[in-house]
Amino acid sequence: MSTTVPPPPKKVNRIGLEVLNYKGSKTTLCAGCGHNSISERIVECFYELGVEPWTIAKFSGIGCSSKSPAYFLGRSHGFNGVHGRMPAIATGALLANRTLLGVGVTGDGDTASIGIGQFIHMVRRNMPLIYVIENNGVYGLTKGQFSATADLGSTLKTGTVNDLPPFDCCALALRWGATFVARSFSGDKKQLQAIIKTAIAHNGLSVIDVISPCVTFNDHQGSTKSYSYMKEHESMLHELDFVPYYEDIAVEIPEGEVREVEMHDGSHLRIRKLHRDYDPTNRLAAATLLEEADARGEVLTGVLYVNTSKPTFLEQLDLVDQPIATLPESKTRPSRAVLDQVMEELR
Amino acid sequence: MEHTFAVSIGGAAGQGVATPGNIFARIFARRGLHLNAYNAYQSIIRGGHTFLTIRTGPERVNSFGDRIDLLIPLNQDTMDRHLGLLGPGAAVVYNGDTVKPGAPADGVQLCPLPVSQLTKNSRNKVEQNTLAVGAGLSMMGIGFQPLAEVLTHQFKKKGEAVVAENIEVARSAYDYASSHFQPFARPLPMTDSRKAVLTGNMALAMGGAAAGVKFYCAYPMSPSTGVLHWMATHARKAGIMVRQVEDEIGVVNMAIGAAHAGVRAMCATSGGGFALMTEGLGMAAMIETPVVVIDVQRAGPSTGVPTKTEQGDLWQMLGAGHGDYPRIIVAPTSVLDCFKVIPEIHNLADRFQCPGIVLTDLLLSEGTSSVDSADLDFDVEIDRGDLITSASSNGTNGYKRYLFTESGVSPRAIPGVPGHNHTVATDEHMEDGVLISDEFTNPIKRRAMMEKRQRKTAGIEAAVAPPALIGPADADVTLIGWGSTAGVIEEAREILTEEGITANQLQIRWIVPLHGDAIVEILKRSHRTILIENNYSGQFARYLRSETSFVPDGYIRKYDGEPFMPHHIVDAVREQLAGQITMSVPMHEITV
Repeated sequence: MSTTVPPPPKKVNRIGLEVLNYKGSKTTLCAGCGHNSISERIVECFYELGVEPWTIAKFSGIGCSSKSPAYFLGRSHGFNGVHGRMPAIATGALLANRTLLGVGVTGDGDTASIGIGQFIHMVRRNMPLIYVIENNGVYGLTKGQFSATADLGSTLKTGTVNDLPPFDCCALALRWGATFVARSFSGDKKQLQAIIKTAIAHNGLSVIDVISPCVTFNDHQGSTKSYSYMKEHESMLHELDFVPYYEDIAVEIPEGEVREVEMHDGSHLRIRKLHRDYDPTNRLAAATLLEEADARGEVLTGVLYVNTSKPTFLEQLDLVDQPIATLPESKTRPSRAVLDQVMEELR
Repeated sequence: MEHTFAVSIGGAAGQGVATPGNIFARIFARRGLHLNAYNAYQSIIRGGHTFLTIRTGPERVNSFGDRIDLLIPLNQDTMDRHLGLLGPGAAVVYNGDTVKPGAPADGVQLCPLPVSQLTKNSRNKVEQNTLAVGAGLSMMGIGFQPLAEVLTHQFKKKGEAVVAENIEVARSAYDYASSHFQPFARPLPMTDSRKAVLTGNMALAMGGAAAGVKFYCAYPMSPSTGVLHWMATHARKAGIMVRQVEDEIGVVNMAIGAAHAGVRAMCATSGGGFALMTEGLGMAAMIETPVVVIDVQRAGPSTGVPTKTEQGDLWQMLGAGHGDYPRIIVAPTSVLDCFKVIPEIHNLADRFQCPGIVLTDLLLSEGTSSVDSADLDFDVEIDRGDLITSASSNGTNGYKRYLFTESGVSPRAIPGVPGHNHTVATDEHMEDGVLISDEFTNPIKRRAMMEKRQRKTAGIEAAVAPPALIGPADADVTLIGWGSTAGVIEEAREILTEEGITANQLQIRWIVPLHGDAIVEILKRSHRTILIENNYSGQFARYLRSETSFVPDGYIRKYDGEPFMPHHIVDAVREQLAGQITMSVPMHEITV
């Protein structure tokens, strides 16, 4: 009598899918690149929350960051656009099909340099989209030039000094209408996970600026986007916990220590204060905090702002619920009554 | 054209040239008359000089013509500029209190209206416009009732008092003209088929509605803004999503994003905006997403002359975007054709999954024309091509977005269809969409994918009919034109025929695919060929030569910002046939 050991049961998420369904192809980015860590967090978050992969549409522009959607969510739809134009592409696609869950991944060159106009206009629209900026301050694929998020006075490997101040994408997003604004560090697994999960639960534009060091071109002495610089200058606003809507929330919370924000889908973001009491629903306070941290040379990370009540672009537009491409043929053209009216105007 | 009648109204911008123009146009159309109107204006909100010509007649009116029958100068400037153009039988109706006529040619009737007396010293300055309309219609032999109806229609939004006041004023001028001025020799006829009146831009937008366009976005740019206006006005009831976007880069990318998600998407701009769109156009070609872009040409380069016409963007369209890729370019030939061409090009763009460009110009897009209502057929065929919008399975089934096929066209699944997830990439890619531009670069795969895309050009060519010769097969001269010049060339041919010179016409509508062999087959039988275009360098002539090696015998070109008038072509053809010259650049005599 032979005994066979049954294989251990495969680990699946709440919709019965293995993590494999959320992975992408093998990365071609440099070993140690911050972007790879971000890809891993994205895989974990969508797997753990049990989002159906085929309902997700990934959008990106051009650059190292924009290549990374190939390395996560391989069973989701992907669109590698052109440099700096992802916001408009994603807007068009999500207007045409509001059932898609949009995930945009971009870099500091893609967003803050060539795409700053598109970025600001997207922010203004508060389009429901998760917009992750993988921010390393340099152009990697063209071998290490400064981008518009590089700090004043920071240096390249060649010793070239950056002579212009940076754009702070969080400050821009905060000022002009994004409804979830966060900054994180690719090396901070727990914080980044909580932020991405909150963004998935959020109904509106989520701008997540992730400092993501470029190990090849911007990880040296004199860089302000290096692992060691972040180690010394990161200042965490708070500790974050994300409780999905399908989990029991009835956990004892110490009085005065924790703030809860209920998200659109019923999930909760639990914010535990660290050094200071901070209310992320106060936009003015967020702006002040960013300015002050900047003056102190600190990189603030955490949820800077969340607004769960502002209407999104989709809600303002009176759109049909289904993908427009699936409307029946009878609805692709204006009705006979409307056409008659149109013709009458011409006579 | 047997009997036509042209009325020209001129004044400063802001003086209200448009309203009397609309009233005349509506009355003519309701009378079953055809019309063609052209407005010469400047890029200014107040001031400058605006000169609108509406020409009407019982048959199709192909151009605004050469002759003015009734001139209505709303200010002294217009009188000074245009009185000299009037010939025997013409009349000028003007405010006798404020405008001095100067010396007209023999046989021109001066018709001063005592405006302050007729309006009882009203302070409303635009009442002189209503007066002129009333007097003019009286002289054309049109009864007062049609004018009363149109005035009611025109002013009903401003309230009954305004309607009544305008009717009263019009009546006084109508009666005054009946008793003081000579009527025109031939009263305007009537037909029993009521016409619809629209601009080319309106026709393009309505063509979009007929084609099932569900997404339209634009950045305002003259002279294409009329498309956006129609779309924005009708968006809600027609069920079309219409957005004004921050710039043309955003416009084209948003349209492509929407098209990628499976809706028919369209945008319109002029040359400068199109320049910004070219990057996106190449993207649409690479990811094989159909999108339709309308370029309404204006006089360039750069800001150029925003309110003037030209056919100067042809090479920009031919070369738009870097790299080689299949595209479709069509240049509609009339206002009605603007309507018809939009569903056609959407069907082709969808079938062949590539960008489609519609090339019009200010003359056509802002020009007004009558059409028989029945010709505006909204029930045209919609062919979405090989489009997958739903599937039952959610497994990975090996769907390949860029599957190699004989036709070069691969079945296109929209995002979100289970089992059909894929990546589209602006980088070169494999059949499944995976990039081959980084570590997997492979010349064999690159070549195969390039050839797959380019195979579509054969299908596109087969789907479009070659151009045909219009007019007698055997003629003294063949006039070649493209796009908007169709009407004026046709009229020039009629005049030439009356003068004893037979002319036929080859009007090119499909720029790409061109059907060069068919064109050469036609032109090699011609006795003499003259190519007419509204630009300096002969852009179409160069294109025709590059595609076919065909070189015409002569050229007529115009690049002063104004369109051709029939006599420009007639005179030039006559001159060239007399053998003196092969290049004519007619002068535009009306200074506006």
